Amino acid sequence: MRGSAANTIWWLTLLLASWLVADEGWSSEPAHQTVAVTFESDIQPLLTKFGCNSGPCHGKARGQNGFALSLLGFDSDFDHEAIVREARGRRVFPAAPEESLLLQKATAQLPHGGGVRFEAGSPPYELLRTWIASGSPRTPEDAPQLLHVVVEPSQRSLAPREKFSLHVRAEYSDGSERDVTDASAFQSNDSTLATVSRDGLLQAGPVPGETAIMVRYMNHITVCKVTIPLPGELDAGDYASLPRKHPIDALVWDKLKLLGMWPSEVASDATFHRRAYLRAIGRLPTPDETRVFLADDREDKRETLIHDLLARPEYADFWANKWADLLRPNPYRVGMKAVWMLDAWLRDAFRRNMPYDQFARELVTARGSTWHNGATVIFRDRPQTVEIASSVSQLFLGVRLECAKCHHHPFEVWSQDDFYGFAAFFSRVGHRGGLSPPISGGEELIYTSRSGQLAHGRTGESVAPKPLAAPSPDLAPEEDPREALAEWMTDDANPYFAQVMANRVWAEIMGQGLVEPVDDLRATNPASNQPLLDFLAEDFRAHDYDIKHLIRTIMTSRVFGLSSTPSERNIADLNNFSRYYRQRFRAEVLLDAINDVLDVEEEFSAMPPGSRATQLWTHRASSLFLDTFGRPDPNQDPPCERTSDSTTPQILHLMNSPELNRKLSLDSAVPARLASSCRSAAEIVEETYLRVYCRFPTDDEAERALAIFPGEEADRRQAVEDLFWALINTPEFLFID
Amino acid sequence: MAIHRNCQGIKRRDCLKLGLGALLGGGFVDALRLRATAGNNARANTSCILFWLDGGPSHFETFDPKPDAPSEIRGEFSPISTKVPGVIFSENMERLAALNDKFTVIRSVRHDQNNHGAGNHYMMTGAPTRIPVSCGAFVSFHPSMGSVVSAQRGAPDGLPPYFSLPSMTRSGGPNFLGARHAPFVVGDNPNKDDFRVRDVTIPSGLEDGRFLERRRLRQELDTFHRFQDRAAGDPVLGVDENFQQAVSLIHSPAAQRAFQIDREPDQIRDAYGRHGLGQRALLARRLVEAGVPFVTINDGGWDHHSEIFPKFRTQGRELESVVAALIEDLDTRGLLETTLVLVMGEFGRTPKISTLADRKTPGRDHWSNAMSILVAGCGTPGGQVVGATDRRGYSAVENVYAPENLVSSVYLKLGIDPDTILYNNSGRPTHLVSDPHPIAEIMG
Repeated sequence: MRGSAANTIWWLTLLLASWLVADEGWSSEPAHQTVAVTFESDIQPLLTKFGCNSGPCHGKARGQNGFALSLLGFDSDFDHEAIVREARGRRVFPAAPEESLLLQKATAQLPHGGGVRFEAGSPPYELLRTWIASGSPRTPEDAPQLLHVVVEPSQRSLAPREKFSLHVRAEYSDGSERDVTDASAFQSNDSTLATVSRDGLLQAGPVPGETAIMVRYMNHITVCKVTIPLPGELDAGDYASLPRKHPIDALVWDKLKLLGMWPSEVASDATFHRRAYLRAIGRLPTPDETRVFLADDREDKRETLIHDLLARPEYADFWANKWADLLRPNPYRVGMKAVWMLDAWLRDAFRRNMPYDQFARELVTARGSTWHNGATVIFRDRPQTVEIASSVSQLFLGVRLECAKCHHHPFEVWSQDDFYGFAAFFSRVGHRGGLSPPISGGEELIYTSRSGQLAHGRTGESVAPKPLAAPSPDLAPEEDPREALAEWMTDDANPYFAQVMANRVWAEIMGQGLVEPVDDLRATNPASNQPLLDFLAEDFRAHDYDIKHLIRTIMTSRVFGLSSTPSERNIADLNNFSRYYRQRFRAEVLLDAINDVLDVEEEFSAMPPGSRATQLWTHRASSLFLDTFGRPDPNQDPPCERTSDSTTPQILHLMNSPELNRKLSLDSAVPARLASSCRSAAEIVEETYLRVYCRFPTDDEAERALAIFPGEEADRRQAVEDLFWALINTPEFLFID
Repeated sequence: MAIHRNCQGIKRRDCLKLGLGALLGGGFVDALRLRATAGNNARANTSCILFWLDGGPSHFETFDPKPDAPSEIRGEFSPISTKVPGVIFSENMERLAALNDKFTVIRSVRHDQNNHGAGNHYMMTGAPTRIPVSCGAFVSFHPSMGSVVSAQRGAPDGLPPYFSLPSMTRSGGPNFLGARHAPFVVGDNPNKDDFRVRDVTIPSGLEDGRFLERRRLRQELDTFHRFQDRAAGDPVLGVDENFQQAVSLIHSPAAQRAFQIDREPDQIRDAYGRHGLGQRALLARRLVEAGVPFVTINDGGWDHHSEIFPKFRTQGRELESVVAALIEDLDTRGLLETTLVLVMGEFGRTPKISTLADRKTPGRDHWSNAMSILVAGCGTPGGQVVGATDRRGYSAVENVYAPENLVSSVYLKLGIDPDTILYNNSGRPTHLVSDPHPIAEIMG
């Protein structure tokens, strides 16, 4: 209530002030600051602020109840037309403004699906009434242009539960300024950390952390970054005592210092060893590998391990599999052979450690047969210009351009012009043959056609290729526009290309991106540690986009080797990397891990015997296990991304699946072999712990496990099977810790 | 490669919020539970059994015969009168004809998606595909009815809320609602003596206490450190919660009874028919009794481009007797009031009988301009026919409805508001059903 009263007073003051000023005359002031209430500068921001033009309401493509506005007011002509001209002019009624449908609906004097947006007589009501009464004028074209919207403060550190007011200032081309706080819309990126009221009063929540408040006024968006440090003092000197040799460490400590947080201890060798295997090559270490590493007393054994792991053959399958998630085509669209070709291309790229700029270039400019050059398959999978354009911008640039296909991007600068300019790079991609999916799929040739133009989705005019926020390239007629696109994408000056890959790889290794979602890089979605992201991207670029170098850089930092156990000074930290974040194995890794632990083989259709799940080239290969633990569904659009969250059916599957129980009790599996070996019960327990947890059991654990072993060695097979079952069903097995 | 932002339920960001919110009281797992049971109060006792006839069953050979049409349209079968005067069915729908005071036939749902991929999607989700897709496609652009019901309703005793027997339908997935709302698929054949519902029952050979011994051992050896402070957002707590749910399901007598189809008296099992389809329908009834709100029976082989007449004498008769047995059984048990039974496919069939170049015998081809749908229970009036097609069955002409209206009706009957806005993974608002008006005639 207090908020709205304050709001009312603000509005009244503003109106009053305008009137008073108007009475005094405005000759010496810029024209737009006169009392004249005009559409673009006064009314459209209101429609945004009160949610009228939002996606669920009149902003959706077909409007609501016959009244459609452009989403978030990015098309003023359309909106003015809709309000003033459509519905036979009943929406605004200058002779008796109160009778206007616009006002009667917004105040719910007439039935309104959106309820009461504001009260009759309230400041926004009065503003609208004034505008209608004066003939619903547009903002004159020669009025000074809005150049910037500035929020003050743009960054602030505050205590838990502390409040402060945001002020929004509009700056115009004639040098004038205007306070537009009351006409601006505010939105918190994380309302648990900070909330913001309609009139810009920001309040921190009870917990420390960091977030951003998005401020919107007339197509301009800006953010205020809010930091809520952990209360209590830490000596600045303490931070200086942390090792800073590795650049990642120094940048993470800097951020923690800002938040008053302190890093966790370094993880134990066994934890680190298992984590490194799983993150670098997606498999568990063998008992012997664990024994050797734990016994090694060299200082640099962790760095050495990372170097060695990245040289192993499993690296390529594991990392190619991640990219296959992003690119794996729908077999019904491309045919099975093409699915295999693209998969083989990816695996080969990672086997050769193909530099990432070359990787992107070969995909984006791919030409030839879908049966010979796997990279071309992405064009068969996404045959429409607009589809491939959205997918390339999201994959390689972290820009979700797709929104801008139909309307201005709601949280970004991208307009429909940007979208179609970008998509036009693909306007000359030629397709020949291969038109009969799904059965054979057929062979398709992807080539650069001599002509081909893309029509703008709204205006229908032909669009010239234009990169994002960069001038159009000069293209000779014989030149493939895709070459120019690849050139611009991989140019050192491109701010997005290296960052989005660095962020993806960071997220894969650390369990959380610096930016989340990992492919949504924008000013309104700031990175949790921008200097760190800048460093990673710069270093990646400086090392010729060497993906293994990027992985090695991250994995040899101290930050990668921190324990997951929180302390009092970082317990609530979920994105500043003051500790390692636990994550469940992905489906393929878990299936391979179970098979490795038991030393059994999986049989997949369309795969040679002994293949691992990370080598699967199609999700058409049926596997109840992989389905249960979640693999992307290539039939879904967009393909479902991975999750590491657990579900009850997953737990049930581990406990009760007849298939798992069959493997557990095979004569050829490890439990049976151990039971019939001449090893002692204690040795068997140790071996089991090494296989499943990749560590030695503690004395206490060993004692408890030994208690289930019968006196007679002949009967011990059941005990060993039960022990394996028990450990496999615990979280310590399921998680990368 | 993005592991965290996902389609599978709770996002990491949500976990974060939940974790932080927990400082204010409540907790991560509590919040999960709260979510799982959200919406449970609305018509919590209603359920749906969907017979999905993949391929698209003919309306001529089922509930919309055209005896006055020329023979190339009329086909081989004669019409039969039904319990409701003036309503005729095709001759193979004999048992249902004697029972149509218990259900409604809709003859006027139509759409423009004339291939399997797109038709499946439209009828199963109430949303047309966003881009054109082909016949062979298995696509998902929008959550299916079953997944929506799973998300909005949940189920007791840790039971999965959405079952699909014996496989998932083409567009029966959860899309952005996430894997936890994917159907629980029971592939095994309940007509077999050794039938068990996978994973929810203790594997054979372990029932004699060995399973309990394993669980005891697991608990004793589970020394993994949990970060109990909810603010830490430890995902292991979620696994513990799932584990408890799994255990409660395994040991819930009510839930386990649902899976034990062999407890059913022989006469009931016989009534449903001793074959996969019949026993799946019976299993569906048992699941509904145990509180599962949505069960799909995915029955393939309805794409009768050829052999349409012999198939309807066998396959058609088998289906109708199963549906009749289910409706009768539900009615006898008083469950029909709370159980919606739907029988439909992605579209109807062409009026003109054709023999395609690569076929030897006549059939009918895809025809989305008309189809017949059987709706029973959950307040659906009996003895009713909604809408009509023209004299020759070419198009729905009276009280024409779209798939949106059908799907909205299903949601309303299950206590879910079809006029709901869902947010997909990119935060884009999406209507649960874009036209939330139900088919008034079946709303009772």
